[in-house]
Amino acid sequence: MRPVWLVLRKDVRTLLRTPALLAVLLAYPVMIAALLGLVAGYANAKPRVALVDEDGLPAHIVVGRHDFNVEATIKEVSRNVTLVRLGEDEAERELADGKVVAVLTVPPGFVATLQQMTKSPTLDVSVTRGGTSGRVRQQVQALVYTLNQKLQRAYIDANLQYVRLLLHGGDGTFLGENFNVIGLDGTKKILDALPQSERVKRIQRFVHDARLALAQTGDALHATAAPIQLVELPQRGRTASLSAQVQSYALGLTITFLSLVLAAGALAGERDENVLGRLARGLVPSGRLVAAKVALAGIVATVLGLGVAFAFAAVIVIGDAPGGEPWSRLPLLAAGLALTGAALGAVGALVGALAREARTASLVAVLLVLPIVFLGLIPPEVFAAAGWVSDGLPFAHGVRLFSATLYDLHPWGAVARETAWLLGLGALFSLLARSAVRPFRP
Amino acid sequence: MTLLEARGVARSFGSRVALEPTDVALAAGEVVALVGPNGAGKSTLLALLAGSLEPTAGTVDRPERVGWVPQRAAHYGRLTALENLRLFAALERVPPARADRLAADFDLPEGTRASSLSVGNRQRLDVALALLAEPQVLLLDEPTSSLDPTQRERVWRIARSVAEGGGAVLVATHHWEELAGLADRTLELVEGRLA
Repeated sequence: MRPVWLVLRKDVRTLLRTPALLAVLLAYPVMIAALLGLVAGYANAKPRVALVDEDGLPAHIVVGRHDFNVEATIKEVSRNVTLVRLGEDEAERELADGKVVAVLTVPPGFVATLQQMTKSPTLDVSVTRGGTSGRVRQQVQALVYTLNQKLQRAYIDANLQYVRLLLHGGDGTFLGENFNVIGLDGTKKILDALPQSERVKRIQRFVHDARLALAQTGDALHATAAPIQLVELPQRGRTASLSAQVQSYALGLTITFLSLVLAAGALAGERDENVLGRLARGLVPSGRLVAAKVALAGIVATVLGLGVAFAFAAVIVIGDAPGGEPWSRLPLLAAGLALTGAALGAVGALVGALAREARTASLVAVLLVLPIVFLGLIPPEVFAAAGWVSDGLPFAHGVRLFSATLYDLHPWGAVARETAWLLGLGALFSLLARSAVRPFRP
Repeated sequence: MTLLEARGVARSFGSRVALEPTDVALAAGEVVALVGPNGAGKSTLLALLAGSLEPTAGTVDRPERVGWVPQRAAHYGRLTALENLRLFAALERVPPARADRLAADFDLPEGTRASSLSVGNRQRLDVALALLAEPQVLLLDEPTSSLDPTQRERVWRIARSVAEGGGAVLVATHHWEELAGLADRTLELVEGRLA
């Protein structure tokens, strides 16, 4: 172990003498993490949906004595999408070009059918093709759901108005026809005034039961319209930016970049300095040289990863964010960072061993970081092959280890599983790196 | 007494043969000059004898302590000369005092990173590194190409003192005339073969 320690100490000393490099190594992944956050934010932005009005929607629509301001209603129900009014041709072209993700068409006769309240009017929707179509369809469905919720009350009120008419009697209108009904109340009065007989009493009992039953119609209609109601409680939990998942990915991205680039550059640097031949003379065998670089990656990943974790923890404590307590898990996190950094360092050492010079090694390592990270970000259920490839690299295992370490109530199962993966991958890549260390070439 | 012996040692890099099977023996007390044109295989032979390079064929019997000065500077540029000497002293399990003494003997600047030293100083540092373990065999690959006459004279004195102390020295050079009064014998390497 002595040669490993001596080379490691030399590497740390060298690194500390290049603060600019250290700053870049830390700032770059933080910048990438921030940019990824912005991209993720954009992915969650409102999709643009075209609204084609073929019916000529008026400014106000009255449905069952409820007056709807059309523009205000559209604005209220389209919280998750950006609705833009377009003509039919323009909407079709923009859908084809991908400038809008869906076209919602209000067909002719929509308002008339709505106001008649005898059958459901239809809205036509065309959705873009491709991976986002499912999400867009859901958002349009959510828009129609919200609109239905608003109309539901008007429909129920209109229906209840007829029920009230049946109960109490009076003048009404149906499909443009005016009518007058005496109602159950009027019927009762007439029956009470009639000479009492068995037949009259039977009708009186029916009127009594019918009045009781119809009095419950309001609740029954509401329950039929919405068998299950969703009640939104006051907001709880952390914001997305402080979530366990975001912390895990930020840590994973930071140390993936650091460990890969550092180990690759450090190993290839030995060749650049022409000391590989001197070390190969029994002073530092290639296996120990790789071990020193892997250890360097592990140490730097631990130090800088803990720095990132401390920053998160401080924000959580200062902001009094709810959720898990981050401080108590920091020692376990430190071990996870060291292990993940070392496993990633082994990948970097392989790159450094294969490259002819440090600049090439560093460039290749930088180029490798994003594919490794993105493979780990793709959900396996979206693209299974990405999951298999990602399982063969340390990033995804590191992220799962950090997530379990930081916030799982019972983390030990996940910690044991991911630790085994990382140890295996670290050993595999270290062996490959050792065999790839090229001999000194005079 | 033979201190170092190579039997049928050869080296290829891919399909390119750098050194044909070669026999070399260095006896105690002798200084041997290795001459030949560029690309003849001198550096490859020295690296094989030093143990920096594994031979494709053949074997090398070498003593425990072999000093080697490669043709190109071989030390850490971001460390000072003394830090380089101390690091390699630790790797060779030599007391740090030996590193300090060599730094003083070779008049190597303190506090300056090796990468900022002159080519001559870097070459002197490599010679000092080769002497750390008090080698029984000293292998010098163009050790004086960047040195001034005074420093060259110092290196030849060191080579002679190693030989006089019972060691052996093999010096690869283009300028064999410099070694005329120093070398006990000369080996000539041409296109990977000893002439």
